[in-house]
Amino acid sequence: MLQSFFQWMQGLSLSAYFLESVWPTPIIQCIHLVAVAVFAGAVLVVDLRLLGSGLKSASIPRLAGAVQPWLIGSFTVLVLTGIPQMTSTALKQYYSPFFWWKMEALFIGVIVTFVIRRIITSKEEGHFGPVWPKVVGITSIALWTSVTIGARLIGLLS
Amino acid sequence: MLGFLLELVRPVFEWVDSFPSSLAWRESLNGYVYLLTAHVVSMGLVAGIIGYWDMRLAGMALRWLPVSKVKSGLFPYLYVGVVVNAGTGLMMVYSQPMRYYPNFWFWFKMAMLVILAVNAAYFHLRIEKTVEQWENDPVAPAKARMAGYLSLAFWVGVIVTGRLTAYSGLVPQWWLDLGLG
Repeated sequence: MLQSFFQWMQGLSLSAYFLESVWPTPIIQCIHLVAVAVFAGAVLVVDLRLLGSGLKSASIPRLAGAVQPWLIGSFTVLVLTGIPQMTSTALKQYYSPFFWWKMEALFIGVIVTFVIRRIITSKEEGHFGPVWPKVVGITSIALWTSVTIGARLIGLLS
Repeated sequence: MLGFLLELVRPVFEWVDSFPSSLAWRESLNGYVYLLTAHVVSMGLVAGIIGYWDMRLAGMALRWLPVSKVKSGLFPYLYVGVVVNAGTGLMMVYSQPMRYYPNFWFWFKMAMLVILAVNAAYFHLRIEKTVEQWENDPVAPAKARMAGYLSLAFWVGVIVTGRLTAYSGLVPQWWLDLGLG
């Protein structure tokens, strides 16, 4: 069933457009990579703060609130530019173990960053004790690093 | 002129290409995979962190944080990222010098990195000297804001041209006419 869904995506006119045109794919890839950098920055400054490092003079809720628009905005761009890249090579992605690695890490990363970390960063330092913010910070960094590695390996080893 | 300058450095690239260790990396099954993956991950660290420094200077983010606090909090991580990013980048060129030598996007990226280095040096040597006078201001002086905007724009350029290095055929005709190989 999942395979037919990927076959359907591969057959979309959007996929054909990206496969048959010269510039759209590199342009989308460039926008995607710039969004990766913006997203990485927004994730890192808060995660480092949760680990008790980085911008230590900023309160956690204020810092998280300040970077939230960049986090949401860059994630939206990542999804929008990721969709045509996925559909145009849907069957390659389906058979790539790194695509599933990326998707699993992405799924957990979204929950950790947009749900669990949101709760942790809504309160001042000390509210959740000394351990949990650090666990969330290191988990978030590990997950998004894993997403990036998985994504890069789809192109290199699939 | 550009073709002449590039022909001047060609022997250096050919010389590196002949190194046994360059050949070993080139023929390694996964060497390039490891280098490029580490290069992309460390790019996220470098560009992500420097983006917040630049946005603070430009007045686009974290305007309520003193400039010196942003620097002392983020730059140790930036330095780690720069070492890994530059190291893996150099190794990629070292392992395949004659792949990068005729690549338009590679040289475009290098030119922007030079401009970024000049911009950073000018900021450090001139503008930052007076940082104590304005580091708490939400809006930095015009020269500092300009340095931030320039850095942001050229880092976007570095990321874009870095990605386009894989598209060595999508280049202007005048570049192909140089006949670099």
